[in-house]
Amino acid sequence: MAPSLHLESFTGVGLGLRHPHFAAVARDNPGVPFWEIAPENVMGDGGRDHDQVCRILERDPVVTHGLSLSVGGFDPFDDDYLEQLAGFLAFTGSPWHSEHLCFSSVDGTITHELLPMPLTRASVRHTIRRVRELKDRLPVPFILENITYYAELGEKELAEPEFLGEILEGADVGWLLDINNVYVNSLNFGFEPKDWLLRVPLDRVVQMHIAGHERVGDLTLDSHGAPVIDPVIELMQWVLPRIGRPVPVLLERDNDIPCLATLLAERAAIQEAYDAVMAVPVRHG
Amino acid sequence: MGEESVLALQRTLVDAALMADPGALERDPAGLAAAHGLAGGDQSAFLRFRLRLMVYRNMVRSDLIEPVETTCFVTQALMEGAGLWDECLTAFLAGRTMQSPFYRDLPAAFLGWLAATGWGQDRWPFLLQLVHCELLSGLVTHHPGGDPMEPSQAHPRLSDRLVLAAPTQLVTYGYQVHRVSREAPIPAPGTVHLIAYRDAGGVAQWMELTPATAALLLAAQRTGIGQAALDLGLSDLSEAIELLADFQARGAIQGFG
Repeated sequence: MAPSLHLESFTGVGLGLRHPHFAAVARDNPGVPFWEIAPENVMGDGGRDHDQVCRILERDPVVTHGLSLSVGGFDPFDDDYLEQLAGFLAFTGSPWHSEHLCFSSVDGTITHELLPMPLTRASVRHTIRRVRELKDRLPVPFILENITYYAELGEKELAEPEFLGEILEGADVGWLLDINNVYVNSLNFGFEPKDWLLRVPLDRVVQMHIAGHERVGDLTLDSHGAPVIDPVIELMQWVLPRIGRPVPVLLERDNDIPCLATLLAERAAIQEAYDAVMAVPVRHG
Repeated sequence: MGEESVLALQRTLVDAALMADPGALERDPAGLAAAHGLAGGDQSAFLRFRLRLMVYRNMVRSDLIEPVETTCFVTQALMEGAGLWDECLTAFLAGRTMQSPFYRDLPAAFLGWLAATGWGQDRWPFLLQLVHCELLSGLVTHHPGGDPMEPSQAHPRLSDRLVLAAPTQLVTYGYQVHRVSREAPIPAPGTVHLIAYRDAGGVAQWMELTPATAALLLAAQRTGIGQAALDLGLSDLSEAIELLADFQARGAIQGFG
């Protein structure tokens, strides 16, 4: 069972707060239920744009989503970074902090890419230990996100649902379920996403991500550079009742970012889909 | 299987992404895995996913290069003109100096790598100054200090010391690196003094300074305005005071005290 993290102020469909929209959001307050921000894009920065985003973070509900902790890596966690992060979490009042179930650095070199963990028992043990350390060192609950991956790193001992489930249970952490990542992985590895979702501990879901993807050659890339397609929205609608709680869903867009009005319209459409399914009785199976 | 195997797998993937020659991954991925001490099953996985591991190589390299190219576009044009940009980036990535968790620090890592290795400086002795000048606007725009302004003496007196605004940078280059462009990326030799500052709208601005003004701005921070003017032999102090007041109005000087 996941830690109880449901908060009334964090439900519905939020929006990733991105640089091109800082000024408009700070000025217009478009009434999005909550925002998500990457601390790395704010911490240690300054200037006009920084002031604008800080005004939003002070004014509106915000959750934080990190990019560079390298949760599954072997480099020691950066003390300075964690200290800054703790201050940032206090400043935003974020109810939890999420990061990716991946590694991104080796021997001090930071790749700024979300690289896949080996699907092995040793990898599970190592990641559980790292997540427990982060739980101890962060001032808010820590949750993990399942990533898109394009290749298995080494010989696989566990299927991804079991790998993910063992880490979530072993480290006793909440889950940021990225429904688009499940969908993209299903295309690239040829599985049925609903079957996958029936094999993972949905009671640990604290938050969801939804995003667009693109086909490049014979691979589907988690580009966050296109509108969310209907099958992904339908998968969100399928899983929400099975989670059984109105967990917040966050619309991500990181590339080919459209104007704020376009993103707000997409958010509203996903909110409508969210409301429609949350209004009906919870079903299982 | 122990956790050392997890680290070995991670090292292999990052090596495959950052090593200068992709040949080992393209032609013999199993051999690459074996060279990292990985066992047969892992070697087979590298062989099976060879093409997708190349996707990772491309993604990592693209991510790391993008902010460098966005910031250092004149340097890019300079080196592309000589057919050396890709070679430079390849050497930069292989040098593995990307050690900041902040993506915006990658151009500074590039400059640091150039300085540490001397890469390209035989051919382009102005290279470090060019790249520094390309970073200057971002340094000023994103400087974390200086907001809000501290209360200070509003009008300069001769006994006052000058306090620059935190984002303000005084720089001296030996080449006219502030006048280059993509089309004309080679700077003329010649000393130039610049003040780069953040204006009231938060936008980075720069001005070329005379040697005397640059010296006054430096000395007046240490000795006070009057003494600095005296030491520099400036005869018209009212002109110096007026100049400093103008810099304050622009946002380059925080105050006097």
